[in-house]
Amino acid sequence: MARPFAILRALALAYRRDWTAFQSLAGNNFFLLTAYLLRTAGTFVYLIMALVVLFPLSTDPLRKIPPSRLALWPLPRRERWILRLASPWINPLTWGLAGLAVWGAGRVLTVGMWAAIAGLFAAAFLISAVPLPDGKGMWRRVPRFPGPLNQLVRKNLREIVTTLDFYCALLLSAVMLAYRVFGPALPPEAFLAMTVLVVGAMSSYAQCLFGLDGEGGLSRCRLLPVRGWQLLLAKDVAFLAVVIPLTLPLAVLPGIGAALVTLAVGHSPSVERPRPQTRWRFSTGGALGNGAIQLLALAMTASAIFSTSAWFLAAAVAAWVVSVWWYGRHVERVLG
Amino acid sequence: MKDMISCRNLTRRFGEFTAVNGLNLEVAAGAICAFLGPNGAGKSTTVKMMTGLLASTSGEVTVCGMNAAANPLELKRRIGVLPEDLGLFDDLTVEEHLLLTGDVYGVPRQETRARTAQLLHALSLEHGRRTFAASCSHGMRKKTAFAMALLPNPQVLFLDEPFEAIDPVTAKIMRDLLQSVARHGVTVFLTSHILSMVERIAHQIVMIRKGSKVWDSAVGDLPQSLEDHYFDLVETPVVEELEWLGPSRF
Repeated sequence: MARPFAILRALALAYRRDWTAFQSLAGNNFFLLTAYLLRTAGTFVYLIMALVVLFPLSTDPLRKIPPSRLALWPLPRRERWILRLASPWINPLTWGLAGLAVWGAGRVLTVGMWAAIAGLFAAAFLISAVPLPDGKGMWRRVPRFPGPLNQLVRKNLREIVTTLDFYCALLLSAVMLAYRVFGPALPPEAFLAMTVLVVGAMSSYAQCLFGLDGEGGLSRCRLLPVRGWQLLLAKDVAFLAVVIPLTLPLAVLPGIGAALVTLAVGHSPSVERPRPQTRWRFSTGGALGNGAIQLLALAMTASAIFSTSAWFLAAAVAAWVVSVWWYGRHVERVLG
Repeated sequence: MKDMISCRNLTRRFGEFTAVNGLNLEVAAGAICAFLGPNGAGKSTTVKMMTGLLASTSGEVTVCGMNAAANPLELKRRIGVLPEDLGLFDDLTVEEHLLLTGDVYGVPRQETRARTAQLLHALSLEHGRRTFAASCSHGMRKKTAFAMALLPNPQVLFLDEPFEAIDPVTAKIMRDLLQSVARHGVTVFLTSHILSMVERIAHQIVMIRKGSKVWDSAVGDLPQSLEDHYFDLVETPVVEELEWLGPSRF
């Protein structure tokens, strides 16, 4: 029993470190926005967030061990079975589900509800064990862009779709699209509010634009003979290529304005206080002040365009252009 | 012959630690210069200063006649670099890395495609052209970074440990390619720990220990084999007996 116990102990350590990556949620604009503005009416948004978080949380802990290493360890069949049966209990979600079954059944949860949650968890658990064909993932297929920055923009797009922010915004946008098609008519202000939510969901990513490049990627950015503003432009084009389609079922022009202002404010922490990010987690923004300013600016811009004049979009474009130029110079200084 | 790389009293300090100490060095056009030394001797720091990625504390480095610190963008257009960490994006395929290089170095699209096809073929990367860097083996990643360094047809190539962790056939191909580009006038500056390979291709040998140059000569001027000379000048290997290795268990 000593061998499986030692392996389980190491797994628990690795899993605990992995879970700390979910602290990113606390530094995420969307979480702050929903926590502050939607204290009571935010159940729907929190449900979407929980759904998005459930999948990366529901991974099989045993997958943390490289298969070749697991195969090489001198473990008899009995000990491998012990590992197989005990390892899911390293995941706190398993305990949570078991706790719900014991405590919640017949009280706060119906059997059907519990089965639905457990089924989702089990599905995510199993999906995480299915090997994806190398490089064939749907999210790897991205469009081409004109100009010399084409491959950089495509790379940035692929980075964005490996953050949970994107899936949160996508779910919000999809739900609103479905509601618009099948539900009763909503007042126009509702679309403005949802646009702010969708852009807000993506705004933390705009504060850590270089966070998923890794050391190798940053090293290549330093070597490429391109100006700093070009590197920022490639980041921003990818961001807009994601956010604008997401706001199409909502309020498009306010969405574009909000996205541009989000980027204009996000350049500062992205360049001056770059934070490494983890894939399949929510982005962690810069300081709380940055997040608050960003949210305020994007909400005000969207409202101004929506309720006053589309000319505010021109102001948003101008702010973005100045920000790209200014922080482009900083990128060159920071990257060397 | 004109010097393509020139260092004058090049020094880099990190706090109290001196990584490179007053390095003087000249490399002629079309030469293959091997820069040797143990781990932590200051090789990568020197390469970073030569490629404009790191400012020197004092001294000057000139590459292609340009001051590396004063004009980094123009310098980057003229050099090819295989960095220590390879500098690849996880979210781009092998082929996309090469297309990116052609685009940002201003190589015409048709020419980029032709060179990409040739490099993928020459380095046996064709089968993995659509593999994302994150999924590539270390050897494939190194070959991709090497191809990226060659594609814009640079005047000077800086290669940080190009022969490490690649198979013998690829090593031979890379060696032949380097000798070929040097014959065409491209200057090659490389670091390596594989002395047998270095002895075969280098024209100039420079050794560094604790940040200071301890040897600089043409390869033909070495007084003994490169390996023996390296052990004499840079580091003498000390082999310790591990008594617990053997037939008895635990």
